Amino acid sequence: MSSRASLEPKRELWYESKRFRRFRRNPLALAGLLILLFFAGMALLAPVLTADRLPRGCMRDLSLGRSEARQALRNPTRPAFWRAAFAPPKSCYKIPRVSYSPVPKPPSARYPLGIASGGYDIYYGIVWGARTSFYIGVLVVGIVLVIATMVGGLAGLFGGWLDNLLMRLVDVVYSIPGLVLAMVFASIFGRGLIKTMIAIALVAWPIYARMLRGNILQVKAQDYISAAHAVGAGYGRLFFKHILPNAIGPMIILASLDIGAIVITASTLAFLGLGADVGYADWGQMISFARSWISNPGGEPLKYWFVWFWPSMAIALFVLGWNLLGDAVRDALDPRS
Amino acid sequence: MFNYIARRLLQIPVVLFVLSLVIMGLMQLLSPQQRAAAFVTSDKQIEHLDQIIEKYHLDEGFLVQYRLWASEVLRGNLGFSRISKEPVLTTVRKRFPASMELALAAFVPIVLVGVWLGTQAATHRDSFLDQALRVMAIVGWSLPTFVVAIWLVAWVYGGLGWFGIGRLPSSLLIELAGGDFRRYTGLFTIDGLLNGRLDIAAEALKRLVLPAAALVIVVSAGIMRVMRSSMLDELGKDYVRTARAKGLPEKTVVYKHARRNALIPVITMAGPMLGRMIGGIVVIELIFNFPGLGEWAAKAALQLDVTTLLAFVMLIGLIMATANLLVDVAYVIVDPRIRYE
Repeated sequence: MSSRASLEPKRELWYESKRFRRFRRNPLALAGLLILLFFAGMALLAPVLTADRLPRGCMRDLSLGRSEARQALRNPTRPAFWRAAFAPPKSCYKIPRVSYSPVPKPPSARYPLGIASGGYDIYYGIVWGARTSFYIGVLVVGIVLVIATMVGGLAGLFGGWLDNLLMRLVDVVYSIPGLVLAMVFASIFGRGLIKTMIAIALVAWPIYARMLRGNILQVKAQDYISAAHAVGAGYGRLFFKHILPNAIGPMIILASLDIGAIVITASTLAFLGLGADVGYADWGQMISFARSWISNPGGEPLKYWFVWFWPSMAIALFVLGWNLLGDAVRDALDPRS
Repeated sequence: MFNYIARRLLQIPVVLFVLSLVIMGLMQLLSPQQRAAAFVTSDKQIEHLDQIIEKYHLDEGFLVQYRLWASEVLRGNLGFSRISKEPVLTTVRKRFPASMELALAAFVPIVLVGVWLGTQAATHRDSFLDQALRVMAIVGWSLPTFVVAIWLVAWVYGGLGWFGIGRLPSSLLIELAGGDFRRYTGLFTIDGLLNGRLDIAAEALKRLVLPAAALVIVVSAGIMRVMRSSMLDELGKDYVRTARAKGLPEKTVVYKHARRNALIPVITMAGPMLGRMIGGIVVIELIFNFPGLGEWAAKAALQLDVTTLLAFVMLIGLIMATANLLVDVAYVIVDPRIRYE
């Protein structure tokens, strides 16, 4: 038994591979990973971090009283802790309003990042905004992958006029700047987080559909596909069992790393007023609250720096994290290097 | 080559056709009243929406509507913009020069900065400079345009009081509206010089600095990254070794031989870069209060003025298609090895 095992080639584990080692030694990739872990921690612990300032609707939906919430949400033995961390009710994403005053208030002990115009607690918005950003990124990538798999799959598998038609559609969508087209779609669909995400996905899929089509064409030309076809595998089996699993990998990885770009588009739309409903914890929208307090308000430049500084830093760092990670992964996957 | 150009030119209307089909198709999600605005040509007509709905069969099927819309467009009527309260084409004519001026002001620095930094990074490969530039490029690439624009407005304009926002101060705009200032190009910097009004040219230039800088920060990072990698490719090739072996000074090798070839992939980037620039201009014009097409479109998007948006997207589609065609032609001029059939 032992002699047989030694004859088998030693299987390389993923963390021993040259690619992973190169990735691990890249300080930029580690920095990106750390930034993302920071935001992921913030997103997951959002109920804990904001247990003392949850909006009323959120506490009602969690069936907790104000004093109860503080303890229950910080205690991992209570079911409310897990419910709030993994499936918080929608009302928790509403930024609580401290007042209705249009004038922002500087940071204080109770509101460490200040209060935005309209009485919105900036700290709450930043913490729950991290959740929104992950949510947007993951969901949009999901929709993009579905569209790209359908379009790229059909084009690559069947070829011919269908391929031609679908690829021309890809060309057309790809030829318009993503932000401009997303802006038009979002405007037609109307305001709302889900609608915005659909608008972004409808703009982001072409490059991945094209990538998948290319990979499928490559895989299709391999001998084992002809072999499978020769032993009588049908189109469905060929596609789902043999072609797709071998062609889809790079697309999934690259699309997931595109979350940074997706969050840029989403926050820009939100800044333009085409994002989630007013008051939703969304970094882009928080900057749009700050619009009239940016340039030299009331002759005192930078007096209200906190209204735009925190959300803009949050967006910039979040996207930076994804791009640092994405860059390193792309380098590691690049066969030339 | 000419066949190729002719074929590409013929593709432009096809692209615009598909684009309009997509958007008109999505517009079916709107109510007939909202769609009616696409057919209004004057302020007064807005009050008779029901008649317009009836006249243009807006409560009928998609194909009927599309045919009617297309026939209006072919006659040169792109509809009425609720945002600017005038026909779409009038607004486009008025606002195009402002966006053009901003794009031109940003274009040259974007290319120069991107190419120069990319070359520096490649020739100092793996040095501290290279690492620093790479980080800078990723940071620049990661910053949303509106964030950069807001930082510039807050810190440089608000904090330091430098430069300005808007296109011209209102006092000068009032003077221009009444006086005998002739608009040759619509670009205030150039018209100011042509009219001998240096003060106007200087004011206009001063207000272009920050919005152009925002574009440079966001867009040149991409060019720099392409330039660096293509320069590294070229520097590793045999002809570079030959050039060095025959004793040419390093400067000649890098700038005369390698860089010229390294620029070819950068030209490919021109299309995506222009796209990023247009997206950036929309946001930047809004933040810097710059009365161009982007600001108009951003406001239209917020007011669900679909007529304006449709016209804007068609215009952008036209610009992008033309630009991509020019890129392909430039390709052949720069690299004689490339032949189109």
